[in-house]
Amino acid sequence: MSQHLPALPVIVPLLSALLITMLGWFKPRLSFPIALAALTVALLSAVGLMGRVLSSGAAAYGMGGWNPPWGIAYHVDHLNALVLIAVLAAALVGLIATRKCVKEEFAERIVPFYTLFVLFVTGLAGILLTGDAFNLYVLLEVASLTGYALIGIGEKRAPLAGLNYILMGTIGASFYLLGIGYLYLMTGTLNMADLAQRLPAVYDSHVVALAFFICLTGLFVKMAFFPLHGWLPNAYSHAPSAASILIAPLTTKVMIYVMIRLTLTVFTPDYAFDILDIGNAIVWLAVIAIVMGSALALAQNRLKHILSYIVVAEVGYMVGGFWLGNRAGMTGSILHIVNDAAMTLCVFLAAGALLTRIREDRLAGLQGMFRKMPLSMAALAAGGLSIIGVPPTCGFFSKWYLISGGIEAGHYGFVAALLFSSLVNVVLFFRIFEIAYFEPLGQGHGHHRNDPSPMAEAPTSMLAPLVVVAVLLVVLGLYSGNLVSAIIQYAIPAQII
Amino acid sequence: MKIVALASVLLCGGILIFGTAGFPDFGDPLSPPASHVSPHYIEEAVAETSVPNIVTAVLADYRGFDTLFETAVVFSAAMACFFLLRVFREDERSPSEKLYRHLPTGIILRIDPGGKAPQSNEFEPIDPTWVPHDMIVKTTTRLIIPFIQLFGLYVIAHGHHSPGGGFQGGVILGSSLILYALSQNLRMAIGRMGETVSAVFCAAGVFIYAGAGALCLLMGANFLDYAALSPLFGVDAIQARSLGILVVEIGVGLAVMSAMVWIYYNLASVGRHQEGL
Repeated sequence: MSQHLPALPVIVPLLSALLITMLGWFKPRLSFPIALAALTVALLSAVGLMGRVLSSGAAAYGMGGWNPPWGIAYHVDHLNALVLIAVLAAALVGLIATRKCVKEEFAERIVPFYTLFVLFVTGLAGILLTGDAFNLYVLLEVASLTGYALIGIGEKRAPLAGLNYILMGTIGASFYLLGIGYLYLMTGTLNMADLAQRLPAVYDSHVVALAFFICLTGLFVKMAFFPLHGWLPNAYSHAPSAASILIAPLTTKVMIYVMIRLTLTVFTPDYAFDILDIGNAIVWLAVIAIVMGSALALAQNRLKHILSYIVVAEVGYMVGGFWLGNRAGMTGSILHIVNDAAMTLCVFLAAGALLTRIREDRLAGLQGMFRKMPLSMAALAAGGLSIIGVPPTCGFFSKWYLISGGIEAGHYGFVAALLFSSLVNVVLFFRIFEIAYFEPLGQGHGHHRNDPSPMAEAPTSMLAPLVVVAVLLVVLGLYSGNLVSAIIQYAIPAQII
Repeated sequence: MKIVALASVLLCGGILIFGTAGFPDFGDPLSPPASHVSPHYIEEAVAETSVPNIVTAVLADYRGFDTLFETAVVFSAAMACFFLLRVFREDERSPSEKLYRHLPTGIILRIDPGGKAPQSNEFEPIDPTWVPHDMIVKTTTRLIIPFIQLFGLYVIAHGHHSPGGGFQGGVILGSSLILYALSQNLRMAIGRMGETVSAVFCAAGVFIYAGAGALCLLMGANFLDYAALSPLFGVDAIQARSLGILVVEIGVGLAVMSAMVWIYYNLASVGRHQEGL
C-alpha cells in the first residue's frame, strides 16, 4: 500500500465525501464520524508521505498507471508535503472544534455541510499534491466551489459576500487557466516537470512572459493580495463561524504555495528573478499590501473584520518574503505558511469560541471577557502575540527570517513595512486585551448581556482544540529551527542563496 | 469608477491581443501542441486502450483523473445549490399563497396565506408559479421523452466509438426529466424521481467513478489504472481499459443526470419543493 501514499490524501476524502452524502442522507449522525475518519487517514498518510520524502527524496505517482507527460502525475517533495501536513492538520482540528457549532448553526444541513467541507479539503490536498498544471485548475474549481457555498450560507450579508467571492474567485481561476492555456500553446504539455524542461527554449517569447503574468495575477486574486483582496474581508467575517474557522486558515496559504510552485518548479528561479526581473516590483506591491492591510485592520471595530484584514496583511508577508529572492526570505515565507495556518486557525477559533457566548463581535462588547471566558481569551492572546511576533511564539521566528531576508536583499521598505505591521498588530491586540481585561463586566455602554454569570466558557469540545492550537503556536516556535534545517531548506532550490 | 473599469478591460484586451502575435500559426502541424503529446495519443490510443474515439481515451483514461474531479465539480455544484437554497422549515421564508386546480373545470383557486385549503378530491394542489394545462404539450412530451432517454443511454454507451460519453448522455437524460417537470409540473416530476433519489444517485455516480479507481488500487495497480480490472471483466488488459472507461462513463452519466434534475428542483421551486414533499 505504501507506494499509493501520494494518492491517499486525495482519494480517501473524496470517497468519504460521497459516502457522507449516500449514508448521511439516511442517517445524518454518521456524517461527522466519516469526515473525522477521512481527515485522520489523510493526515496520517500525509505524515507517512513526509517520512518517505525525508528518507528517500521526492516521490511520484502516475494516475491511471500512465507516465507523464501522457497522463497526470502526482509529485511530492519537501515543500508540498510540509504544506499538506499543515493544511490537513488545521482542517482536522477545525473539524473537531466546530462539531457543536455546526450542529447548532446548520441543524438540517449537517450532511451537505460535511460533504462540502470534506470536498473542500480534497480540493486543497489535490492542489498541493498534483504535478500537473491543468489538474491543479480542476482541483482549484472543487475547492473554490465548495468554499463559495460554505461562505454564502451565512446570514444577512453573507450571500452578497459569497457572490462577490464567486465573481472575484472565478475571474482569478480563469486567469490561471488562461495562462496555462498559453503555456500549453507554447510547449504542448501540461505536466509541471515537462513544462520546466521545455519552457527554457521559449523563454524569449513574450507569450510565455504573458502566461506567467496572467497566472500570477489569477493567483493574486485567489490569495487576496492587495489590491485584489476585495472579496476576503467580507467573505470571512460574514461567513458562519464554523465556515470561517475551517476556511480562513487554508485557502490563502494554499494559493501562496501554488505561486511558489509555479515560480520555482514550472518556471526556473532565473526566469522570474533575472530574465523578467520582477522580484523588486512585487516586493513593493507586498509592502503596500502589508501597510494597507494593517491600516485597514486598524479601522475596523469588529473582531472578525480585524482578523480578516490581518490575513490580508499576512498574505503580503509571504508574497514579499518569497519575492525577495534570497534563501532567508523564501525560508521565512514557507515557514510563515505553516505558522500562519496555525495562527489564523487559533484566532478565528478563539473568535468562534467567544461568539458562542456573545451575540456580536463588536469590540465594545468584549468587556470583562477575560473573566468570563479566561481560556478562550488566553488563546486569543497567544494567537495575537504570535501575529505580533513575540518570542517564543512561532510568529516571531518566521518574521525574523523575513526581516533578515529583507536586510540581506537591501530591501528596507519591506523591513519597515514588517515593523510597521507588527506595531499596528500590537495596537490592535492590546486594544482588545484592554477592553476585555480592564473594562469590568456589566458596565457596558448600555450593552445588553443575556448571561450574567461570571464564568461561561465555550463548550469543551471547542475549547480543548483551541488550547491545543494555542500551545502548538509556542511548540512550533521552539522547533522552527528544526523545521527549517530538516525540511524547508530542501524545499528551496540550491541555486538560491 | 466606470472609466477605471473600462480602462482596465481595454488594457487586458490589448494585452491579450498583443499576446496572440507570438502564437504558433493556426493549424501548424509543427506547433508544440501538435507535435509533443498529441501524436502519442493519436498513434497509440487504440493500441493502448482499444478505444477508437481518441477524445474519449484522453478524457477518461490518459487524463481520467481530471475527469473524475470534473464530475466531482458537478456534484459539488448540485450539493451547493441544495445547501444554499433548500428550505427546511416553512417559516424560514414568508409563506406564499397556495394554488389549487379544480380538476373537472380547470378553474384555479388562489388561497391567500392562512386561508383554508379546499378539502375535496376534485382539487389538486399546483405550483404557485406557471403551471401549464395544455393537452398538446403534455401529450407530445409524453411521447418523445422515452425516445430522448433512449438516445441519452445510447450517447453514454457509445462514447467509445462516436462523439458522446457520460457528460453528454447525462445531460440528455437530465433534460428529459426537466422537460417532464416543465410540461407536467414539478410535483409530478418529484413523484417520479424524488430528492433522495437525485441526491443519492448524484453521489453514487461519482462514487462509481472514484470507486472504480479505488478498486484498481486494491487490485494492486495505480489509482484509475483500469488494466488491473482485467481479471474481473475476464478480458485482457487493453480491453479492460475500454470496459473501465465504460464503467466510469456510466458513473458520470448518472451523476450528471441527477445533478441537473436536483439543481432544477431547487432552483425552480426556490428550495421549497412545495410543502410536504
